[in-house]
Amino acid sequence: MTEAAHVHDIHSANGHAVHAPTPPRTGWRRWTGPGWLRALWFTPAFGSLWLGITVLLRWAANWHPLWKSGPIVTVALVSYPVGFLAAIGAFDYWLYYMSGRPTRPDLHEGHGARSWRDYFRPNPDHKVIGIQYLCTVVFFFIVGGFLALLFRAELAHPGDQYFNPQTFNVLVSNHAALMIFLVVIPGFAALGNFVIPLMIGAADMAFPKLNALSFWLLPIAGLMLIGGMIAPGGGPSTGWTCYAPLCSHQPMGQIFFNMAVQWAGASSIMTALNFLVTIITMRAPGMTFWRMPLLVWANFSTSMLVVLATPFIAGSQFFVLFDRVLHTNYFEAGHNGYALGYQHIFWFYSHPAVYIMMLPGFGIVSEVIAVMSRKPIFGYRLMALSLLAILILGFSVWAHHMFVAGMAGWLRVPMMVTTLLIAVPTGIKVFSWLATMWEGRIHFTTPMLFAVGFIANFVIGGLSGIFLGAVPIDIQASGTYFLVAHIHYVLFGGSMMTLFAGIYYWFPKMTGRMYNERLGQLHFWLTLVAFNLTFFPMHYLGLQGMPRRVADYAERFAGLNEFISIASFGLGASTILFIYNMVWSWSHGPKAAANPWRAMTLEWQVPSPPPIFNFDEIPQVVGGPYEYGVPGARHAIFGAAVPAPVTAE
Amino acid sequence: MTAAAEAHPHGHGRGDANLHPPPIHYSSRIAPPIVGIFLFIGSEIMLFGSFFTVYFFDRVAANTHPWPPIDPATGHPYSRPVFVALINTCILVTSSFTMHWATQSIKRGHRAGFQAGMVLTFLLGLTFLLGQVFEFLRVGFNTSDTSFAATFFGLTGLHGCHVLVGLAILLVMTIRAFRGHFSPEHHHGIEVGGIYWHFVDVMWLVVYTTVYIL
Repeated sequence: MTEAAHVHDIHSANGHAVHAPTPPRTGWRRWTGPGWLRALWFTPAFGSLWLGITVLLRWAANWHPLWKSGPIVTVALVSYPVGFLAAIGAFDYWLYYMSGRPTRPDLHEGHGARSWRDYFRPNPDHKVIGIQYLCTVVFFFIVGGFLALLFRAELAHPGDQYFNPQTFNVLVSNHAALMIFLVVIPGFAALGNFVIPLMIGAADMAFPKLNALSFWLLPIAGLMLIGGMIAPGGGPSTGWTCYAPLCSHQPMGQIFFNMAVQWAGASSIMTALNFLVTIITMRAPGMTFWRMPLLVWANFSTSMLVVLATPFIAGSQFFVLFDRVLHTNYFEAGHNGYALGYQHIFWFYSHPAVYIMMLPGFGIVSEVIAVMSRKPIFGYRLMALSLLAILILGFSVWAHHMFVAGMAGWLRVPMMVTTLLIAVPTGIKVFSWLATMWEGRIHFTTPMLFAVGFIANFVIGGLSGIFLGAVPIDIQASGTYFLVAHIHYVLFGGSMMTLFAGIYYWFPKMTGRMYNERLGQLHFWLTLVAFNLTFFPMHYLGLQGMPRRVADYAERFAGLNEFISIASFGLGASTILFIYNMVWSWSHGPKAAANPWRAMTLEWQVPSPPPIFNFDEIPQVVGGPYEYGVPGARHAIFGAAVPAPVTAE
Repeated sequence: MTAAAEAHPHGHGRGDANLHPPPIHYSSRIAPPIVGIFLFIGSEIMLFGSFFTVYFFDRVAANTHPWPPIDPATGHPYSRPVFVALINTCILVTSSFTMHWATQSIKRGHRAGFQAGMVLTFLLGLTFLLGQVFEFLRVGFNTSDTSFAATFFGLTGLHGCHVLVGLAILLVMTIRAFRGHFSPEHHHGIEVGGIYWHFVDVMWLVVYTTVYIL
């Protein structure tokens, strides 16, 4: 690219000496510089070193056998990834700092992508990281979806077809874990990474190097989950919930699951921390909290949830791992352990996690609907406040997952009440979107179709959620396909639809090219129809008593299951359309304008794709982000002299 | 024409954004690393929270064995080294004061006080950690001795890991202190490390009270 050639000799107007990029290493030195060549030898070397230390320690402590699968695998799942991260240079900055040398000014070399190679290294540019995240997420979406098709093939007929029950459970567990930890949660982190700094008028995140590191933990977590499936002895098969004490007594693949969750969780916490600090400290002048786009609000609330709740799933996975590797008895009933404690701790994360998987989607939909309806968002402040309400209420409902688990009876009713209460802020949002569209000049582009489709599906999922929140119905429907229908209506019909809306909406900004609108709309309609054909019948199956997570079922469910399996293949086919559209448009699509949607938010006021540091100068924000159709309204002024800060005399 | 369409679509500048970032505008009076470390500590408190949660579930809700359980070898309950740990507690609390001394010294430009404070803090922290290791070796029960031992080693071990990380940070800070890298104007590194160390310290008081005294 041309920029690289210019970098050598340009001195900028305000006196920064622009740093010339370090010359590429040659000869054997290519093996010692940060990168994939170094990873080739350093990862096994570093990983094996720690395995050796483990064996030595076991020998010193006289623990036999020295080579025992539990501790060895646990250590390996830490040491090899850490070695890999160090080799590709994810820790370089901190290692330099720790070596005690004087700090050097940040010359921003390595910022941004000038060739495809720049996407395959730790890159501090939030836009590159956003695209790295998104491609990783799409990859694992394909894998997770493929697993679903495999077990839908098994479920097409009663009896055993292709997989034994153990393998079936592995497929189900990994489908769920991949879709939750590697698709929906990081999918929103992907869009947030790309968009948030642009939206608030910042050149990058508050901690760009931490951002680069937190992305690279994600593929590690994903490969660990997939690796668990082929681990000797069998894969993780206890569902994504990994209930104790069952999962402490599973084959070795379960350790892969425990550790993968830790890696994904660490990635998630680091990203959320970065979002929070960025939103708090890096907003452009004039960008008050009440002028922030709702996507930023949504990610603010979500990041709060991630930072405060994710440590609980880390704890829960530590405990089951300790029960297995260190022979502790956190959850073993015979040794004063309390198995239900696992469920409480797990759901104390995992219920807030469903809002982690939904709130950023609310933000995306708010952006899309306001822009495509050409109207200010209805009830902006209430929209923001309802996010905070969900954030707070989200911590008070966890035990509604345990109505049939044998927990204390008095906990049921309070948990039911808070669960039903959460429908209030969620309802506020739904009605606000509808009111925003009311009498708007609606443009049914692909992102808008997905946003509206999301509302429809999400309301169905929300209603079945109210059913399940009520104790009597939950006792009846717990552990049936009614639940499977509910979770997919909120996570696929909800979260994935918003994710698609967001991907289509920001595709021109990310790639500088326009996607194919016709294919996009076809993708939407196929997805909507196939999705509903797949999951709506599951409500009925569930109420008839078909249990989930079982490879076989009674003869009377055969017809509907065959129908569902066929529909699910249609859903898989719709994804091929999406992938094709993305790949083809990224390479061959028509060039996109800077602001194809005529949106007001800041990311659309810079070229597509944005320059490496986003803004020539930080914009001055002067109004709300959604004043569509309001005469004379401005969101931000570019190139205006920033007024001197008012000092109190 | 909508306001959005009016908005100037770039092209006003020199295209500098491809070469170097615009000057950063901070929207908060607190520096990003300080905001970051406080949020991180929030996350850490929740991690400890999960360990305390499982502790109370095992102790209160399970409650099938006495707490601490009977040692089959002696017929008496396992004993926790309350007194030794108390001395260790005093050591760690002292280290928080020396850390504060170091931070205040560098803020006022007293380099000698800063260096002495860092060295003392590191040595006190190291003493605590070694004390903890010896306690683990001589405590007389193992991880598998009911959930009492699990939560004992879990909470003190989790805290020990934090001390270890804190010591690594302190070591780097101390080395840099002797190389003269911090100044009254530039000491975020010390402040962030100090906040973390104070957190490790305060958290120990909670752990000590829960695990040893309750």
